[in-house]
Amino acid sequence: MNRVAIERKVLSENDRIAEELRTALNGTDTLSLNFIGSPGAGKTALLERTLESLPRHTRAAVLTGDIQTENDANRLRRYGYPVRQITTGGACHLDARMVETHLRNWIETDLDLLLIENVGNLVCPTSYDLGEDAKVVVLSVAEGEDKPLKYPGIFRKAELMLLTKVDLLPHVPFNPELARENASRIHPEIEIIETSYTTGAGFDRWLNWLASRAERKKAAGKPSGEAVTTA
Amino acid sequence: MHEMGIAGSVLDAVHQELQKYPQHRATKVALRIGEFAGVDPDSLQFCFEALVKGTPLEPLELEIEWCRPKDGRRGDELELAHLELEDAQEAVA
Repeated sequence: MNRVAIERKVLSENDRIAEELRTALNGTDTLSLNFIGSPGAGKTALLERTLESLPRHTRAAVLTGDIQTENDANRLRRYGYPVRQITTGGACHLDARMVETHLRNWIETDLDLLLIENVGNLVCPTSYDLGEDAKVVVLSVAEGEDKPLKYPGIFRKAELMLLTKVDLLPHVPFNPELARENASRIHPEIEIIETSYTTGAGFDRWLNWLASRAERKKAAGKPSGEAVTTA
Repeated sequence: MHEMGIAGSVLDAVHQELQKYPQHRATKVALRIGEFAGVDPDSLQFCFEALVKGTPLEPLELEIEWCRPKDGRRGDELELAHLELEDAQEAVA
């Protein structure tokens, strides 16, 4: 019996493509964000209001993933930015090859911002690097405060948590402080912003985060990688 | 159910590795999976066995080392660790 070391990542092919994407997006100073959350967490609504609120000069584009339908892309196209739907046909997550394929031969000008809405799922998308600068986890107040404890992987990897639908707080038994506490237990450095699509609450802060993150990327002038802490 | 895709990637790696050892067959492949990797080990084991069944790789075993973020581990590992091989001629004998 012989034992031979392999010592490489299981998803090395995905990671290779993701790294190529990251290099290309770094070359154009494009901030790319990967939005991950449960179905119904409010990812698409968040992006709708974000596109509506972006400074006019922003060169932005959206890739939106779903198992079936063009519904989300149709919603997002109303704001005048280029949008492409990635229909996975059953896969529960986006991978780097899907992103690479859908970016190819699409937009000729350099982008300031690439928003990638992953398939609604808090587990599977966590494993796949899409070449993004940061993962953003989207949690709504219609879910449980213990989601960060139940699905620690994405809360550990996300740089930012957007707590959505906060206008519903008077009507649902959700304790935002407990949700914050749970997210911070899993990832002490995670940033948290509360938002509401309906009232617009928190969007100033969210847009400021976007602007400062883009500036930080330009200033760094190099890959920022994933937000996993090395405990 | 991305564990099916991950199981397929593991088997791709096994096939690639076996090309270096044409006189051998693989008996076990070992992975390191972190608790924050977003992979369910039971589901991965199930998918792995389903993919191996009826192929020349059967009865290849999957061994999973579950990693917590301590003692030099990050907790988000999804890595191949090693492969155990036996001489194909001896196995036939």
